Amino acid sequence: MSELKPRKDLLDIESLSLDEIEYVLENAVPFKQLFQRSVKKVPTLRGKTVLNLFYEPSTRTSSSFEVAANRMSADVTNFTISASSVVKGESLLDTIETLQAMRSDYIVIRHQAAGVPGIVAKHTRASVLNAGDGYHAHPTQALLDAMTFREVYPDFQGRKVVIVGDVLHSRVARSTSTLFHKLGIEVGVLGPGSLIPEGRHEFMQRFASWDEVFDWKPDAVYLLRVQMERQEGQFFPSVAEYHKMYGMHSTRVQRMRELGCYLMHPGPVNRGVEITDEAMGYEKSLISTQVENGIAVRMAVLHWLKPETQLD
Amino acid sequence: MARLFQNGKFWDSDRLEMVTGDILVNDEGMIEVVGVGLPVPDEVATTDCTGCLLIPGMFDMHVHGREPGDEHKETLASCAAAAIHGGVTGLVLMPDTSPPIDSGNLVKSLQDLISEVSPIPMLTSGCLTKGRKGERLAGFSGMASRGVVMLTDSGSSVPCPDLLRRCMEYAKDFDLLVTTSCDTAALTKAGAVNEGKISYQLGLPGIPAMSQEIAIDRNIRVAQHTGAKLHLQQVSTANAVKSVACAKEAGTPVTCEVSPYHLLLTEEDIVDYNTHFKMSPPLRLEADREALVAALIDGTIDVIASNHAPHTEFEKAADFGSAPFGVAGLETTVLAIYDGLIRPGVFGWDLLIERYSDRPREIVGLSSLKITEGEKAEFFVFDPEGETTLSRNYFKTKSPVTPFLDKTLSGAIRETVI
Repeated sequence: MSELKPRKDLLDIESLSLDEIEYVLENAVPFKQLFQRSVKKVPTLRGKTVLNLFYEPSTRTSSSFEVAANRMSADVTNFTISASSVVKGESLLDTIETLQAMRSDYIVIRHQAAGVPGIVAKHTRASVLNAGDGYHAHPTQALLDAMTFREVYPDFQGRKVVIVGDVLHSRVARSTSTLFHKLGIEVGVLGPGSLIPEGRHEFMQRFASWDEVFDWKPDAVYLLRVQMERQEGQFFPSVAEYHKMYGMHSTRVQRMRELGCYLMHPGPVNRGVEITDEAMGYEKSLISTQVENGIAVRMAVLHWLKPETQLD
Repeated sequence: MARLFQNGKFWDSDRLEMVTGDILVNDEGMIEVVGVGLPVPDEVATTDCTGCLLIPGMFDMHVHGREPGDEHKETLASCAAAAIHGGVTGLVLMPDTSPPIDSGNLVKSLQDLISEVSPIPMLTSGCLTKGRKGERLAGFSGMASRGVVMLTDSGSSVPCPDLLRRCMEYAKDFDLLVTTSCDTAALTKAGAVNEGKISYQLGLPGIPAMSQEIAIDRNIRVAQHTGAKLHLQQVSTANAVKSVACAKEAGTPVTCEVSPYHLLLTEEDIVDYNTHFKMSPPLRLEADREALVAALIDGTIDVIASNHAPHTEFEKAADFGSAPFGVAGLETTVLAIYDGLIRPGVFGWDLLIERYSDRPREIVGLSSLKITEGEKAEFFVFDPEGETTLSRNYFKTKSPVTPFLDKTLSGAIRETVI
């Protein structure tokens, strides 16, 4: 793997080579093993600074990056900017100038507008880690999903995953499906026509119903979070109808059990919408593993990226 | 001082072919003699045009001049300079300034400003609705008496079909052309790019093709019902072209335009969230582009109009979703069409002259330019073997935001004579 070209930023999945993906996923394994020890820290990034810049509230991803950076011994600054305090888009260049002056080595950024991490990356010497931009990309989520899937299926190639729900508004669906496809995992989608865009990648075959999905014999079902507040009445008639058509409940859990199928979800879960309380207890749920692997993968990414500030 | 342009090739509108010869322009800017091997009189500056084409000045009927109100983006002076630099010697200003041009008095003050600062004719248009708000009719008679050449809420469709109907009925009494943007706001919403593969991949909200197509169908229906003259701005899809062809076949007095961008680029050209490719309507598919080129050739599309819509580089430096729609067009249209369509042989100069000089002039009631004795000298000297690098310092516009920034195109405009 020594032939890997150093990379400054992680912005999306499309631009990653298979070698780079393998490098991160393989490195995440020893980091995860570290979590079993009483001292969970490595000194790799001692003296380095990580800026956690969140324009969208996200406790989970933000803390996952924070824990990952802490375990690498980096100094972390959390910066949450409410959308209301930002002049839409226009002040972005000014913000970048401020960031540049802070001389952080790594900037973790989440933003509601697609493409913002790329703009920041272009204008700073720090490594930029995209923690989710608009509907565009969430590359560390995809990497942690791949790590999780490969733990239960070391023979992952040719296996099948169905992504269920709002593909249209999901950066997770975009990044995770792309990464799975790159790894040779088949990807299907299930959801109402109003949330499954025609322009999606051709490899994402669409199923009309859970029956079709189960006939396909998926190795994992990946439920997406439903954004109830934005979508009820606009993209589907009601939460109750969504749950009936696409939700995960005990009957469907039983079908999964028969198939030996795993359950994944990027969190946070809307109980009673895309999944019932009961289904949350499914023995082959990987949801907690995903959270744990998120930290390991993010450590591996921090370890891998090379900020320009380190070239001085 | 009188000037003699020697040995250039130019379009002979009587013989309908390219001829080579000399053109003597007197010190009043009139073409005095056209001929071959003309003697050089005293006190005449000569310009060797060997290998160059002398092309009649273009006319752009869709220009956002930005003054008054947004002088940081463009002023009428910089707009005129950009036009001349791009071989454009006449244009129509859109009324979407701040304040919007929606009354006779505002037309008058704009015309006064134009006569002070612009060396080329800048014709005015007026709003269809008061303040371009799409709520009430603007003062048509006052604007008509000041000589606006069209009424348009350019940049904004009139969302209510009933109001559009009343606008057209009322405009017809003044024999005024009604020009519309073609967009259904309820479908476009916060869209930033064409809806489809690219909107999915970039994770940006999409603008479906039907947003334009429904608006075009609706506007054509209203025009047919009222009998008003309708001009459709910025046709961008294959289906939209079909609707226009169908309306023309039915004898509807409808004309339409296409931008150079939609003739040359597609959504696939949007790389790396480059906001210099963000425009309204958005860049579409290759099949749409091909249909637009075919329609331009067969006459379904009447004119090329650049939709010159400058925004500063700072404004365009926002993220793709937040950045404003629109790019500069006056200085690059001739070059880009030459580089992308004429030079590869898709069509000839005669078509560009027809669609970007003669026909738009005809639509707004002007006569076409001719390189003939007794006519005003209004042409540009084009070197087909030259090259133009469109770096920032090439531009005269205040906002050099264009998909062609930093590209090198074949062909060069040596000079525009006005």
